[in-house]
Amino acid sequence: MSRTKRGLHALHPLSAFLYYVGGAVFIMAGQHPVFAACTFVLVFVLNGIQDHFAALKKWGRWYAAAAFLIVILTPAFNRRGTHILFYFRDNPVLLEGVIQGVIAALSLLALLFLFVSFNQVITSEKFLFLFARVVPQWALLAMLTMRFVPLFQRRLHDIGLVQKTKGMSVKKGGFLSRIESAMKLLHILLEWSLEEALQTADSMKARGYGIERRSRYSPYAFSAIDAVVLALTAAGGVCAIFGYALGDTVLTTSPVLEPVLLSGREWFYFSVYLFYFAFPMMIEGRERWRWHFSKSTK
Amino acid sequence: MALLQINQITFQYPDAPTEALRDVSLMVNEGEFIAICGPSGSGKSTLLRLMKRECAPHGRLDGTIRYQGIPLKELPPKTTATAIGMVFQDPDNQIVMETVMEELLFGLENIGLDTLTMRKKIAEIVHFFGLEPLLDRPTYELSGGQKQLINLASVLLMEPRILLLDEPTSQLDPIAAKDFLNMLRRMNEELGIAVVIVEHRLEDVWPIADRVVLLHEGRVAYDDPPHKAATFLASKADDAFFDYLPSASRLFLHYAATNQNSRLPITVKEARSWIKGLTVRVKEASTQVVHERMKPVVLEAKNIDFQYEKGKPRILDRLSFSLYENEKLAIVGGNGSGKSTMLKVLAGLLKPQRGKVVYQGRKTTGHIHLDIAYMPQNPRLYFSEESVKLELEKAAHDSPLSPETKQHIIDEWGLAALGDRHPYDLSGGEMQKLVFACLLLRGPRVMLIDEPTKGLDPESKKQFGEWLNRFSWRGMSFVIVTHDIEFAADYADRVGMLFRGEVTAMADAAAFFKGNAFYTTSINRITRGVSAPEVSTLKEAYVTWDVQNGSP
Repeated sequence: MSRTKRGLHALHPLSAFLYYVGGAVFIMAGQHPVFAACTFVLVFVLNGIQDHFAALKKWGRWYAAAAFLIVILTPAFNRRGTHILFYFRDNPVLLEGVIQGVIAALSLLALLFLFVSFNQVITSEKFLFLFARVVPQWALLAMLTMRFVPLFQRRLHDIGLVQKTKGMSVKKGGFLSRIESAMKLLHILLEWSLEEALQTADSMKARGYGIERRSRYSPYAFSAIDAVVLALTAAGGVCAIFGYALGDTVLTTSPVLEPVLLSGREWFYFSVYLFYFAFPMMIEGRERWRWHFSKSTK
Repeated sequence: MALLQINQITFQYPDAPTEALRDVSLMVNEGEFIAICGPSGSGKSTLLRLMKRECAPHGRLDGTIRYQGIPLKELPPKTTATAIGMVFQDPDNQIVMETVMEELLFGLENIGLDTLTMRKKIAEIVHFFGLEPLLDRPTYELSGGQKQLINLASVLLMEPRILLLDEPTSQLDPIAAKDFLNMLRRMNEELGIAVVIVEHRLEDVWPIADRVVLLHEGRVAYDDPPHKAATFLASKADDAFFDYLPSASRLFLHYAATNQNSRLPITVKEARSWIKGLTVRVKEASTQVVHERMKPVVLEAKNIDFQYEKGKPRILDRLSFSLYENEKLAIVGGNGSGKSTMLKVLAGLLKPQRGKVVYQGRKTTGHIHLDIAYMPQNPRLYFSEESVKLELEKAAHDSPLSPETKQHIIDEWGLAALGDRHPYDLSGGEMQKLVFACLLLRGPRVMLIDEPTKGLDPESKKQFGEWLNRFSWRGMSFVIVTHDIEFAADYADRVGMLFRGEVTAMADAAAFFKGNAFYTTSINRITRGVSAPEVSTLKEAYVTWDVQNGSP
C-alpha cells in the first residue's frame, strides 16, 4: 500500500480536492468523443501510476458492465438524427445515438476512475480536515458512507455465502426469482450495515467528534506546487466552462452531425484537457524520477 | 464524593411495554473496578450507555446521573467526551480512520489539542501499549485483539477518569482476551482510572473486580465486593445466578460439606490453596469414564489447501481430520487462524485449491450437501424474511422431512410464540434458537457451527450446550469452532487446535486441555500440579473426585 507523503499525496487537501472537483467538471463538459476518450485514457493511466490498477481490478468488472449497458441502451432511446446505421426490429439505430452512447460511457468510466484516484489521495483524515469544521454532520455522514463501500463488497459476499446454504442465489433460477433473491440480499446488507454504522457514529461521538474545531497533528503545508495546482484548476475550470458554453468541447448532433475530427479552436481546448489530466502524472513522475536518481547515485 | 452517581433511575424505551431499568442506583468511586453481569435483556448495556451522554439511548429517563456532583446533562461537551471513555463490543465498528496513527489521533484532534501535546501523549501511550510496529499499518489489516487494544488506547489518550466497557472481549480469542483484561487491570491499578465493565467472561473478571453488580430484569439484584457477592450467591437457594460464579467458587461450593472453615475462593490461586488442604482420591469406578467403540466416520477433510487470492498466505495448509458419527468436535485457535474459513470449506461454500471434503464416502468438495448445515457466526446473515413465521415456513418449504416432523420441530422449540416478530428484533439467544431450528428443519446429519456462544449469557450458553447433547444423541454430528474454552471443555467430545492452517493436537476434550497452559479452563489451572487429580471441567471433578477433609 502506497501511503507515502509524496507526489499527489503531498498536496494540500484543499488543492487536491479542488483539482478533483475541476477534473469532474472537465469530464462533464467534454461531451465529445475525442475529449471523452482523452480524459478516459489519461485518468486510466493515472490509476495505473497510483496503485498499479489494484483498486480498479476489484471494481473494474462492474464499471465495464455499466459502461456496456450505456453503450447498448443509449441508441435504443435516441431517435433524433439523420444517419441510420441499420434497423433493429423495425427501429432505426442511429449513428448519433451510438456516438452519444460512447461519449456517455467514456465519461462515466472517466468519472468513476477519477473517483477511485480521489479515494486514494483524499484519505478520511484529509476529508475530515476539509469538512469536519464547516459541515460536521454531513462530513460524519459522508465518512460513514465512504467507509461502507469496501465493507459492502465484503459483507455482500458473506451474506451471499450464507444465503446460498438456504438455496437462495442470484446465479440460478428464473429471471424474476434471481431479481427477488438479489433484492433480499441487498435488504439484509442494508439493515445490517445501517446498524453497524450507528455503532461507528457512536464511537465517533463518544470521542468528542464535532464539539469544536478539529486540530491537526501534522499540519498540512501549502507549498509552491499547491499554488500551481490551484492556478491550473482555476484557469482550466474557466476554460472548460467556456469551451462548453461555446460548444467547442461538445459534439453537435442535431440538426446536423458535426465531424468527429477536431478543427480550429477545438484543438486549443483539447490541449487544455490534455495538460490538465497529464499534470498529476507529471507530479508523480517527477517524484519517481527523483527517487530513481537518488538511488542510482548511491 | 462519588465520581459517578446514579440515583434511582428508571428507563423505558419508546415502544417497549416495560421499563428496561427500574429504580437502579449505582455509585462509581474514584479508581474502582466494577463488573456488571446479568442475563441478556437485564438492562446491562442500557445502564452502561446511560452513563455516557453521547451514546445514551432514546427513551424516558427518570432519576439523575451525576458526574462529580453535576448532572450529566449539564456538563460541558468536552468534559463528557474526555472524562468518560467508552469501548464497545465490536472491534471493527469502532474504528473510524484508515491507519493506526490516525485512529489514535482522532479523539485528540476532535478536542483541538496542539501538536506538541498530542505528540507527547501519543509517544507515551504507544510505548505503554507497545504499539510502535503497528503505527503505520492500515487498521483493517489488524487482528480483533489488536483492534480492541487500539480502541482502548485511543480512548485512554483522552485521559478519562472513568472507563465504560461493553463486553469488550466477546469477540477475542482466549489469549487476546486475557491480554486485554490485563491491560485494563494495569490502567486501573497504575493510573487509577475507574472501570465499569459489562462482561460475560466472568472467570477472568471476578478476580480483578472491586465490586460485582448483578442486574436482573432491570433491577440491581446485588452490588457487593466479589467475595461477599459470591458468598451471598452461594447462600441463596435460587441457583439462577449460580452460573455467574467463577468455576473456582463453584467447585468449592460443590464440596461445601467438607470445608466449613475455608474462605470461598474466587481466583485460581485461592482455589489451589484450598485444594491443598484436602485429600482427594479418584473414585475407583470412575477412572475410565467413557471408552467408546470406534464409530463410523461421517465427514472427512483430506489434505485441504485454501487461500483467498493468489500470492496471499495459505489459510488452510494440508488440513486433514475426521468427524465421527454423533460426535461433537470443537476446534479452537487464535483470531484469524482460519477457523471460519475451514467451516466454509467443509460446508461447500468455498472451493479449496487442493484436497477434498468427503461426506459418507462421497466427495462433496465445493458443493452444498443438504445433509450438511452451516450456522454462521452472525445469525443476522441467515435471515431473509420479515417474520419468524415466514422464516420457518421458508426453511420448511424445501425440506425432505415429513410435515409431522417439521411441526414437531417447531413445537419443540417453542417458536410459534414468536410468530409475527421480525427476526432482527429477537434477543441474541432467541435469534440463535431460530437459526438452529431452521437448520434442523432441513434434516441435516452434520452441523457446522461458527462461534455459537458469542455474546450469550451463561444461561443461554448452557441451553445451547444441552441442544448439542440432545441432537448428538439423536445421531447428529457437530463441528464447533469457538473461542470459548470453557464451553468446549464442557460439551465437546474431542477438541483440536487450528494452527498454521492445520488441525493439530486433536484429542479427547479432557486430555486436550490437560496439556495446555493458556488454552485451558480455569478448573484445569486450579487442579494442575496439586495433590488432587487433574481435571478440566467441573463435571469431571464431580464424577471422579472423592473428597475428604484434612491434609493427606
